[in-house]
Amino acid sequence: MSEATSTNTPKPSSSVKLVLLGEAAVGKSSLVLRFVNNDFQENKEPTIGAAFLTQKCSLPTRTIKFEIWDTAGQERFASLAPMYYRNAQAALVVYDVTKPSSLTKAKHWVAELQRQASPGIVIALVGNKLDLTNDGNEASGEPQVDGEQQPPAATADEDDAAGEPQEEQDATPGDARKVSTREASSYADEEGLLFFETSAKTGVNVVEVFTAIANAIPESSLKSGRGAGAGTGQTTLGGGRPAEDSRVNLGDRSTATAKEGCAC
Amino acid sequence: MEPLAETPWDVTISGTGLAQSLLALALSRSGKKVLHVDRNSYYGGSEAAFSLQEAQEWASKVNGEPEHYPFEDATVYLPEGTPQLPTRSYTLTLSPHLIYSKSRLLPTLVASKVYRQLEFQAVGSWWIHKPSSADGALVLYRVPGSREDVFADDIISVKSKRTLMRFLRHIGKPPSDSDSEAEEENLAMSLPEYLASKFQVPAELHEPLLSLSLSQASPGQTSAEYAVPRIKRHLASIGVFGPGFGSLLAKWGGGSEISQVGCRALAVGGGVYVLNAGVKSISNHQSEDGDDMRVQLHLSNDETIKTKLLVGSNWDLPGQERPACDKVARSITVVSSALESLFPVTADGGPVPAGAVVVFPGSSFDQSGDLPPVYLLVHSSETGECPSGQCVIYGSVSHAGAQGQSLIESAVHRLLQSNAEPDAKVLWSLRYTQLGLSSNGANARSSKFEGPSSNILCFPPPSLDLAFDDALIDRVKDAWQLVMGDKANEQEFMNFEDREHADDED
Repeated sequence: MSEATSTNTPKPSSSVKLVLLGEAAVGKSSLVLRFVNNDFQENKEPTIGAAFLTQKCSLPTRTIKFEIWDTAGQERFASLAPMYYRNAQAALVVYDVTKPSSLTKAKHWVAELQRQASPGIVIALVGNKLDLTNDGNEASGEPQVDGEQQPPAATADEDDAAGEPQEEQDATPGDARKVSTREASSYADEEGLLFFETSAKTGVNVVEVFTAIANAIPESSLKSGRGAGAGTGQTTLGGGRPAEDSRVNLGDRSTATAKEGCAC
Repeated sequence: MEPLAETPWDVTISGTGLAQSLLALALSRSGKKVLHVDRNSYYGGSEAAFSLQEAQEWASKVNGEPEHYPFEDATVYLPEGTPQLPTRSYTLTLSPHLIYSKSRLLPTLVASKVYRQLEFQAVGSWWIHKPSSADGALVLYRVPGSREDVFADDIISVKSKRTLMRFLRHIGKPPSDSDSEAEEENLAMSLPEYLASKFQVPAELHEPLLSLSLSQASPGQTSAEYAVPRIKRHLASIGVFGPGFGSLLAKWGGGSEISQVGCRALAVGGGVYVLNAGVKSISNHQSEDGDDMRVQLHLSNDETIKTKLLVGSNWDLPGQERPACDKVARSITVVSSALESLFPVTADGGPVPAGAVVVFPGSSFDQSGDLPPVYLLVHSSETGECPSGQCVIYGSVSHAGAQGQSLIESAVHRLLQSNAEPDAKVLWSLRYTQLGLSSNGANARSSKFEGPSSNILCFPPPSLDLAFDDALIDRVKDAWQLVMGDKANEQEFMNFEDREHADDED
């Protein structure tokens, strides 16, 4: 709660509001659970209502605190989304690599975000349930280590040199994959999205998604939030100040000064 | 998820304005089956926040379907030659209220644990228009808001300071120290009379002191009874959350953010949300299986549901008579200047204010008349409401219609002229009339619920006060008690444990 007063941290810390969108049962909540608690529940019940979680992500130059809004459970009405994506700086749009219709739905969400959300929102397209494919099986033995040493499977917007490690993966027995990496990744390229295939179950690529998002948030948007980048030069009010300078902490109710203005 | 029609709802809340959304928050751990609907495609009702494009659409709806909105005569004004503005870089709020540090809203948001999802910023300085004697040019004078300010002020004469200090010391006294009965008798006069007769405060300080009360009436029309407790509140709020400021605003759109946080809390608690679904009509429904009285609601999305209770406002419930309302002229103006000089840090170690109040007394427009003051709540780009290098000015005057709008417009222009940046101009403006209950007016404390039957609860019209009106919390509590029935335990109202995974101190 208290960035302003947190202990001995020389690194600047910024909050980033992130929303999760996607069809029911693609594993949105599981992804977050893996990221936040490094945990996975088989046959997880659908999320009742919605959820709010936070998790920090430490980058070399700063700490990003994700405030994660999970819209789970009410996809039918699509009514939670507008209040979630307003002012969101990042969105994770999730589909299930074994379910083509979920990618279609994901594309709808991307279009909606591009139409309605803040300009400059960082969107990551995530194909989950990689463990149900042959690629995922290979990776499934690896323990989830938290850290940046695992190379991302595929990142659409970083460098194209990485290419697509998982090329043709159709129709191997036991492979439930129905959405090819190539299809989703070229869509992500076109739309300028980050792209990952993940497994919340094994943990593959989960931390990488969030780290990539954290890296992709423009510095300017961390300072002045949503309006940044949209307007004029940065020399005026707010341009040079860290965002926390204007923040008032309700936890700081100070009894000592509460009587200012009273009789001596 | 089962269809809406098959769920026996305990409560249906219609509309996602601040009152309904705080009720949603209050019910978020109640175990009640709550359906929360809104006829609009957005959250926040009459406290919503909009992009420029959405504001334009809102204005057309207000004019097209006046029965559904406590607003009238909404128009968007685009000065000629304005460049295309990036519509989604703006979050313009219908609810720019400032929230005093002493408001009960803040402990409510803390006890209900949702404050972590909000970001608060300081409203720093109060400025008041003062014509300079030399050439009539506008000078903005910073109203001293604390005793420290009075000491530091280099405009007030020493003699005036003494009288002012006497007044401030007087109202700063805890009630037990003073002869309260005698005080009350003396309050039955206008504030200027009170200040002059009781404390010999010179006339030039009357308007500045009045501005601290946020009274929307002219000085002669503002009673001491109304203004004194409000000035007291202003002074007592300074320093509560940090040095140099006494009121706050919620980043990203004021009341709209608070509404959304309330709705999210209920969604997390299992409430079901449906937008684009208003309550079209209500019919009584005798349930076959017992004494459970429910009303049947027809929603505008063509679903029919059954609910024990229906809660809304006059504008969200069908067949409600329009209550008697006061009207004020309001506007939202985007200007091409950061107006940096309005937001100085007001005390050592204090935060950078994101809001400022600029007051143009009625006398600054017309010496002879008895015009009400124009208030401009100025929000810097730090609020996230506009791109940096710009400001959003929320204007209000208790004088609805064209004349009120022209007073606000004139105030905005004078403010821009007073600014150091000579080419500062209006980029975009939304003007409208707002209906509600004036805090000065006779309707101010219309309380409790009205409705055609015991199943239907109707919140009173929204307050037109420029500061958040704590009475709203009482109304929400009333509604909560009616919903909870015997199970209502006052201690549990808005008093929640952190949910699992909630972020503790770190």
